[in-house]
Amino acid sequence: MMGTTTGLAPLVDTPLAVDAIGRLLQFDTLARIIIEGFGKAAIYFIIAVGLTIVFGLMGVLNFAHGAFAMLWAYLGGILMVVTISSGTSPVARFALFIAVAAVIFALLTAFGSVLEIGLVRPIYDRTPMYQILLTFGVGLILEELTRIVTSARGIQPEPTWTGAAATIPASLERFYSIFGANIRGFYLFAIVAGILIAAVVWAFLTRTLYGLYIRAGSEDDEMVEALGIDVRKAFTIVFGLGTGLAAVGGVFLMWDPTQGPSVLLNIEVLLYAFVVVVIGGLGSFKGTLAAAVLVGSADSLTTWVFNTGLVDFPGLSEVTIFLLLVIALVVRPQGLYGVEEVGGH
Amino acid sequence: MVALFVLYPPLYGILLRTPLGAEFDAFLPGTTFLIGMLYLGLFAMSFDFISGYTGYLSFGHATFFGVGAYVVVLAANGKVPGISEGTPFMITMVLGGLVAFALALAIGAVSFRLTGVYFAMITLGFAQVVYELVRNWDYVAVNPQSGPTIGGPTPEIGVPYVDSLSVALGRLAGDSFENVLGLGIDISATLTTYYAIGLVVLLSYFAMQRIIHSPFGRVMIAIRENEERARAIGYNVFWYKMAAFGFSGFFAAIAGALFAAYVGTAPPNETFHFLVTADALIVTIIGGIGTLAGPFFGTVSYEWLEDVLSSEQGGLAPYLRATLPDGILTTDVADVINTAIAGRAPLYLGIVFVLFVLFVPNGLLGTVRDRLGDTVGTAVGDRLERYRH
Repeated sequence: MMGTTTGLAPLVDTPLAVDAIGRLLQFDTLARIIIEGFGKAAIYFIIAVGLTIVFGLMGVLNFAHGAFAMLWAYLGGILMVVTISSGTSPVARFALFIAVAAVIFALLTAFGSVLEIGLVRPIYDRTPMYQILLTFGVGLILEELTRIVTSARGIQPEPTWTGAAATIPASLERFYSIFGANIRGFYLFAIVAGILIAAVVWAFLTRTLYGLYIRAGSEDDEMVEALGIDVRKAFTIVFGLGTGLAAVGGVFLMWDPTQGPSVLLNIEVLLYAFVVVVIGGLGSFKGTLAAAVLVGSADSLTTWVFNTGLVDFPGLSEVTIFLLLVIALVVRPQGLYGVEEVGGH
Repeated sequence: MVALFVLYPPLYGILLRTPLGAEFDAFLPGTTFLIGMLYLGLFAMSFDFISGYTGYLSFGHATFFGVGAYVVVLAANGKVPGISEGTPFMITMVLGGLVAFALALAIGAVSFRLTGVYFAMITLGFAQVVYELVRNWDYVAVNPQSGPTIGGPTPEIGVPYVDSLSVALGRLAGDSFENVLGLGIDISATLTTYYAIGLVVLLSYFAMQRIIHSPFGRVMIAIRENEERARAIGYNVFWYKMAAFGFSGFFAAIAGALFAAYVGTAPPNETFHFLVTADALIVTIIGGIGTLAGPFFGTVSYEWLEDVLSSEQGGLAPYLRATLPDGILTTDVADVINTAIAGRAPLYLGIVFVLFVLFVPNGLLGTVRDRLGDTVGTAVGDRLERYRH
């Protein structure tokens, strides 16, 4: 740790830096960074939104979130591989993808509800730490089970299973020229999907009765209970939905050019989802959206900086994201839109 | 307890030679796993020192473990400025501890403005930043992703610059002694390591125990129980928390140093990674959070489980394969053994962990203490006292 800064200093090349700043100010570079940033933001949002609504109502930090996403990245991948042949048209692939995402969402929502009734419900009266521990244990078990199944089926131990990634339609792998910038199709798809999911979740939160409970519960859950609302039932449904949303995130990562299904996804998704949720303010939907955009843009910018050769440091975007977390917590501990002292029973 | 650990290896050797040797080999932990128990137990104790006693969950604790490990390896390779390659291990180990102490103060200065989940998150954030920096920092090793390796001679445990003592305790990994003190006892190289590491762990345990039972430790517990009140009494809780975090980081680094010196390498995924903290958290819960020795027993259970389920020699799977009659050992059964038993410790650990969280929230030692109504040592002493009258 000592001397980290001195070790990093020679990595920045001054003439390159001047050149890079010049290029950064060009319109097409900016457009590319921004659009790709939005694409990444959409993915961050999709993996984090389930976590935030569960925390919003229940005050439960679901440490099994990453495992859910990981598990269903696999399952979605398998479903896609089974249903798709090389002759399947891109349109059919899209339709299948959406169908798979819907099926998985339904399955996992049911799974999450059962889990809530069976395991989480008995320990609501304890300190919040025990819910973190419990869900973490569940995540651990799911990860190991996946490892057993995938190794028995010969999918692992390669870190990334390429079978699922290969089902991506060619139209998403192509690069499109938008405002003079070359954007991978997948990011455009992610932006559309992210906006759709954000709209649906927003509508759920503001236009339905359960949404009302969640918003009320994140303000004052004791009062909600006192008003005679069946909080237990709401908990079960919300936990189920949060789990289902994690699954949709997992299905998305299946086609992500930088991810793909792997057991390691568990911790990775978990950490990224936490970063987004914490920066945005635990339990705040608006905050999660804003934080996803922030983190996505930072990711896209630092990826570009690394690719220009300006900084020879492969872990740059990860470092930046976690630095953002630290800075956000120092400057605004409750997050961008968070309420102080939110959650906890 | 200490005596059990001292006597266990020779006892284990004797048991292996009995008619039930194969069973003992399969169900009792071997010496290499015992060494793992020692340094991981120390790390878990240092994690519990801050998390269990002040109630501040340190989710980035692996950072300090990693600092200890890296300082030792880098110092042994002559890559720490001002430290020559031949510096005795005890000095580099303490140096690693001090670096971790300073780093803990720096992280704590920022993090202790927050509480609860936010504190856990910010320490995790710092840990991930450090992890990514180290993993991509090409000064530490040719391939920083797989971490630095000790290039020079194996480090020595012993009091620095006092040659006779260093020789008496032997090298950390390497020396074997025959006919010690003319008693006709042989001590193998692994066993020397075991005792040398055990001594450091024991001393660290006593040091932490001392701190917790001092007035300082009482303030730590007061902070856990009710921070507002502790502040109202007039304690400057911030500095108490900082000091506790610093000590905790120091001992975590000692554990890391022992790990690096024993293994001879420090892969970032086994030192700085989030999952290293998670392991400490799991064994702390199983052993009993808020009891200093508890995490150690948690680690013992974990390492024992890992040894029994290991796919290599001395595990349950090879034992079953060797002893089950051929009639039962069809290919199906062999498949089940391979997939469900060999190397599946994390799965069963996860299940045990969830069960503990649900049904035994105080952990092994915590529950025993609840039953006895006092610490084990005192309670047993009292019972014995009663029988004397």
